[in-house]
Amino acid sequence: MNLMEWEVGIPGKVKTAWDGGLYKLTMSFPEDYPSKPPKCKFTPPLFHPNVYPSGTVCLSILDEEKSWKPAITIKQILLGIQDLLDNPNVNDPAQSDAYTMFKNDKTAYERRVRQQARENIPK
Amino acid sequence: MSDMSDDNDYYSDEDMFDGTQDEDESGDEMELDNFGDDFKVPAKDKKKSYEVDYDSLSQQAVEKLMARDINHICSILGVEVDTASLLLRDQKWNKEKLIEKYMDNPTKVSVDAGATLPETGPPPPAPLRNSTSSSSQSSNRRTTRGSKMLGLGPKTKSPTSSPTISHHVPQSLKRASSKKAEDFFVCQICFNDAPNLQTLALDCDHAFCTECWGDYIVSKIKEESEHSIRCMAEGCALVAPDHFIRDTLLPAPGAPVGDVERESQNIAAWTRFQELIVRHFVGCNRNLKFCPYPSCTNTVSCPSAASKASLASTVPIVSCGARGIGPQDQEISKSQQLGFGLQGKEHRFCFGCPIESDHRPVICAVSKMWLKKCADDSETANWIKSNTKECPICQSTIEKNGGCNHMTCKKCKNEFCWVCMGPWSEHGTAWYSCNRFDEKAGVDARDAQSKSRASLERYLHYYNRWANHEQSAKLSVDLYAKTEKKMEDMQITSALTWIEVQFMKKAVEEVEKCRTTLKWTYSMAYYLAKGNEKELFEDNQRDLEKAVEDLSELLESPIEPDTIPTLRQSVTNKTVYVQKRNEIVLEDTANGFLEGRWKWNVAVDGFDDPEETVL
Repeated sequence: MNLMEWEVGIPGKVKTAWDGGLYKLTMSFPEDYPSKPPKCKFTPPLFHPNVYPSGTVCLSILDEEKSWKPAITIKQILLGIQDLLDNPNVNDPAQSDAYTMFKNDKTAYERRVRQQARENIPK
Repeated sequence: MSDMSDDNDYYSDEDMFDGTQDEDESGDEMELDNFGDDFKVPAKDKKKSYEVDYDSLSQQAVEKLMARDINHICSILGVEVDTASLLLRDQKWNKEKLIEKYMDNPTKVSVDAGATLPETGPPPPAPLRNSTSSSSQSSNRRTTRGSKMLGLGPKTKSPTSSPTISHHVPQSLKRASSKKAEDFFVCQICFNDAPNLQTLALDCDHAFCTECWGDYIVSKIKEESEHSIRCMAEGCALVAPDHFIRDTLLPAPGAPVGDVERESQNIAAWTRFQELIVRHFVGCNRNLKFCPYPSCTNTVSCPSAASKASLASTVPIVSCGARGIGPQDQEISKSQQLGFGLQGKEHRFCFGCPIESDHRPVICAVSKMWLKKCADDSETANWIKSNTKECPICQSTIEKNGGCNHMTCKKCKNEFCWVCMGPWSEHGTAWYSCNRFDEKAGVDARDAQSKSRASLERYLHYYNRWANHEQSAKLSVDLYAKTEKKMEDMQITSALTWIEVQFMKKAVEEVEKCRTTLKWTYSMAYYLAKGNEKELFEDNQRDLEKAVEDLSELLESPIEPDTIPTLRQSVTNKTVYVQKRNEIVLEDTANGFLEGRWKWNVAVDGFDDPEETVL
């Protein structure tokens, strides 16, 4: 077992398009955690404006040069990512597919997110 | 060499070259700085037009400048030294701007700088939308701020500075802390709950154990080269003042010796931290520039080259005063002191641009343009072309690995000039046209194809000569070693003393210096518009090049015991001549910039656009 690699599941918030899905995420803790933040990556990559095509999450609290602080707990990180699912940050897009759809066609975006939620229902 | 007759006239009236002069002076010439005095050209006291005024400052000297600014702010704004330092850093060391803004809204300025807490409301950035807490506000403990510490204050203090109380402290801990707050503390980062755990907190009272603080600060300094280190609590924007960082990293006097490795790492981080602050200060000040040489911590102050406009007429080549590569405190070896070889090289760089060497006489904008062109055009096709050539007779590929331009093919014994590839016999005569592009070739270039070929050829003409001098200057490391050996041989085979063979070293240094000048004159000539001024420029260039090649050849010639006095005489003479020619090129070019004499064939920053595009 590798203590530096965590596999976690983030449930979509109820009453949102993400409801019902459990999104799998790996957290890789660097050697100098907690001075440096863990790397959070959705496996497989998620359809979301702030998730890079590789699956890596783009969030200011996960950036050591932005808002990362050693006192941020894992729970806070996960809650932050869960909150990000339904509240994407349009100022910081990380993938073009989800970003353009979110900007131009909210209905199609919602549909796509619901479909993704269905695909991620835990067995 | 027949054209040297008039050159000899040139300095025949200077009677300082007879051997006896050296003997007389050798007594007090032993000082390292002085033994080259007999080579110096008179009127050294006057500043040359190609030189700039500058000062070299050590890190301590810059720290003094910083302290002066900080004290100034302290007295005007009535704040503590550490606060003043944080405010200045946040305002990029612009005192006027800081004072103006501070007078306008002191609270905002200090909160933005991370010097004080916001008076009301939540801490400024709250990146976690769903988070209702500032998290690890651990307990109602008072922690001594900033000093090495101690956490066991008997008074409890309500966390007024924090708007909300943590939801993340486990129930058990809450109960425990309410019962006996003084001696039960869990660091919210490492969850160490050892009794007597030492903790630290900034003014915000977000307490964490000293070990976590240490790791965090070291990692910020080492990995991110960050000097603005904020509190570890989420969303808290307070910046750790210098004394806090010092107290965290440096062991308290008289403290028991702990982990030696950790301590040395902390001390290294503190040193680096001070350097980062100095670098930030230097970076914000247009009159200052940090020495770009590895691990050098000196700074150069050159106010005359601080404006962009001044760079159109001056080439601010400066030197930080240090030599060699490696930590400053390292003992300098004897050969380094002598400036021999690469190790002892002066830290010479341009104040106005990122070129880390002497690019006189050419101004920054033109040098930059030339280097860019070379990087774009020359990378592939021209490398081989500039590093190897074929013998004009037998076509063997030849790589020049040092020495002068007089080549003798190993295979067919053909003697030729490395630059023009013509027979060497022609170079012994008065005419020496190796530095000039034959403009006539452009005349019959009628159609576009031959025009582009001509322009490429023209570029290659200058590029090849440029690269040739650069290569030769690089090979001077070998030449240094060879010359050192020769100097030793001379002391053995002749009666000359150590001091008397220094003329060889001086000559090698001079050759290297002049090659650097020559190299850059080609980039200048490439961009100079055709005309009399360019002709004169190229005349000076040719004279210098000829002199340098002659001296270079002399240095390569074998040493015979019976010819040493003659060799010494001619090398000394040539060295002075070369030095003079170099000064002439540098001075004339610099004056040309001051007088606005130079016209370019391309648009150059700070100059009028060229009237016509002539290649």
